[in-house]
Amino acid sequence: MRRLLATLSVRQKLLAVVLLTTLTALLVAIAVMVGFDLRNYRQSLISDMTTQADLLGRTTAPALTFDDPRVAQENLELLHYRPQIRAAAIYSARGKIFASYSGRDGREFPKLPEADGTRIEGNELVLFKRIVDSREILGTVYLRADYELYDRLVGYLGIAAIVAAIAMLVAYVLSRQLQHIVTSPLLAIADVAREVTEKRAFSLRAPKLSKDEIGMLAESFNTMLAEIERATRDLQASNEVLGREIAEHNRAEQEILRLNAELEQRVKERTAQLEFTNGELEAFCYSVSHDLRAPLRAIDGFSQALLEDFPKDVPEEAQRYLSRIRSSTQRMGQLIEDLLNLSRVSRGGLERRDADISELARQVVTELQGREPQRKVDISIWDGMRANADSRLLRAALENLIGNAWKFSSKTDQPRIEIGSLSDDGRAVFYVRDNGAGFDMAYANKLFGAFQRLHSGNEYQGTGIGLATVQRIVQRHGGRIWADAKPGKGAAFYFTLESDGVERASPDMAEAQA
Amino acid sequence: MAPISALAQVDRTAAETQIKAAFLYKFSGFVEWPPKVFARPDSPFTIGVIGADELAAELEQIVKGRTVLERAVVVRRMRRGESVAGIQMLFIGQAEGARLAEILANAKGQSVLTVTESEDALSHGSMINFVFVDDKVRFDVALPQAERGALKISARLLAVARKVVTSS
Repeated sequence: MRRLLATLSVRQKLLAVVLLTTLTALLVAIAVMVGFDLRNYRQSLISDMTTQADLLGRTTAPALTFDDPRVAQENLELLHYRPQIRAAAIYSARGKIFASYSGRDGREFPKLPEADGTRIEGNELVLFKRIVDSREILGTVYLRADYELYDRLVGYLGIAAIVAAIAMLVAYVLSRQLQHIVTSPLLAIADVAREVTEKRAFSLRAPKLSKDEIGMLAESFNTMLAEIERATRDLQASNEVLGREIAEHNRAEQEILRLNAELEQRVKERTAQLEFTNGELEAFCYSVSHDLRAPLRAIDGFSQALLEDFPKDVPEEAQRYLSRIRSSTQRMGQLIEDLLNLSRVSRGGLERRDADISELARQVVTELQGREPQRKVDISIWDGMRANADSRLLRAALENLIGNAWKFSSKTDQPRIEIGSLSDDGRAVFYVRDNGAGFDMAYANKLFGAFQRLHSGNEYQGTGIGLATVQRIVQRHGGRIWADAKPGKGAAFYFTLESDGVERASPDMAEAQA
Repeated sequence: MAPISALAQVDRTAAETQIKAAFLYKFSGFVEWPPKVFARPDSPFTIGVIGADELAAELEQIVKGRTVLERAVVVRRMRRGESVAGIQMLFIGQAEGARLAEILANAKGQSVLTVTESEDALSHGSMINFVFVDDKVRFDVALPQAERGALKISARLLAVARKVVTSS
């Protein structure tokens, strides 16, 4: 019941309460009235029938006295004016039926009269009453009358149903008419509440339509709304401030981005300029070196011709000078050659193919041994080292690296050179290691610059361009190169031939990167 | 006291007498006499009987120990010509025959309830006359005579009368 009521609207609830109350009150009232009436009915019926019996007794007393059943019969026949009495009989003092009357239905009469009294038999009232006259018992009256308790009850139930229906109808109409006094202030608040929730219109106010609790509710609700409105306004104000700040921040960020883009653009432009200039420089360098070779070759050639063609005419001292001219020109030729190499590896295309590094290293070593067959160097080259690289450039790089190792291990007792590879994060790292002179890692940053020499030209021959060339080759392959060495303990050069994304190697290692 | 309805078949005359005696006694309950008919407060209620000894004997049996109007009941056997003074009810048997009219004339105007059992007795001034109908004792009532005697006969008695004569 309560669960059912909970789902109804206030209006329906009020209606249900009114109707239920009305119905209950009505049913109780009807029940009491019916009970009272039925009790009354019974009492009045008994009293009526007793009176009727007395009357009959008194009327029929002479007939009994003078033994005249006909008269008694006539007296009884008068009962047909009372259809309620179904049967009546007069018994003589000896207990025989003296006269009898039956109304609508013929019926048997009791054989013998009973003592005075009334009783209910189903829907009939049965009554016996002695006829006494002058203190003599003349006979007994027997009456059987309709006892319409159930009929009346049914009738009452019908009336109750009709009355209840009418009352409920009236209550329904009345309460529908009147309930708006209670519900309209409530519904007004509910409407405002719904609108506030849906439209977030906190400026709305609930109308105060009554001075009862609902009026108080409306007032409290309005106070709450005012509170919320103020809080919302504050929140909006602070939101606006925050919004402005964010917009400003965004503008600043935009400005930074714009500046960055400008900067990048400028860097790009500068880089392009630099690259252009670099290219110019290299072209210039190439042509200059190339053009320098012809006069040098002439100087060297004619010096040689002087020495060989005129051994007697040229004094010994002059011959010594000529030798020095020749070695200088040869050195310069070498220098030019190296410069041209450097220039070549910088220019030209890069043709990546599957290159056999082990094989390339073996060729380089064979060449070196051919040049200096008297040297005994323990050389070990790992088998099966391969890389996707330009084998021409790769060979140039190996020539420089192995050549350096060959050179700087020349003053070592048991020179040893190892060409191998190791794996770093799945990438192949190739290395060339010797046990030669080595160098101080403090100068490692100068290692790969052109014309940088860590050892004097007297100690070891060299132009100082080789490592720059190697670095350029490695860079062109997208790899990087770095070194590890100790003075007198040998040096190791490591390089990769593909981009590994590593920005910086450990600080104690000289390195260069594309 | 005994119900009268049971009519003895053995001896019709005896039964008839019994019933008539009982009726006589019971008439007293339905008739009102003027108070002056009793000489003294303790005067008995006297029923005079002429020409019906058997009935008188029967009546004596019936009234034994009973009262009428709170007075003792006395049955007096009377002869012709005897004064009806002090008598409240007078029964004149069939045996009197032709002398009926004389006896009734004697009682005329007196407050004496006259009861007879002869045909046409009412026209001679009798107030109540027994008749025999369908083997039953019934009676006719003549009101004018009773009124002349200042007697009031109850309507309830009239109700059981076979015939009521209201004017002479």
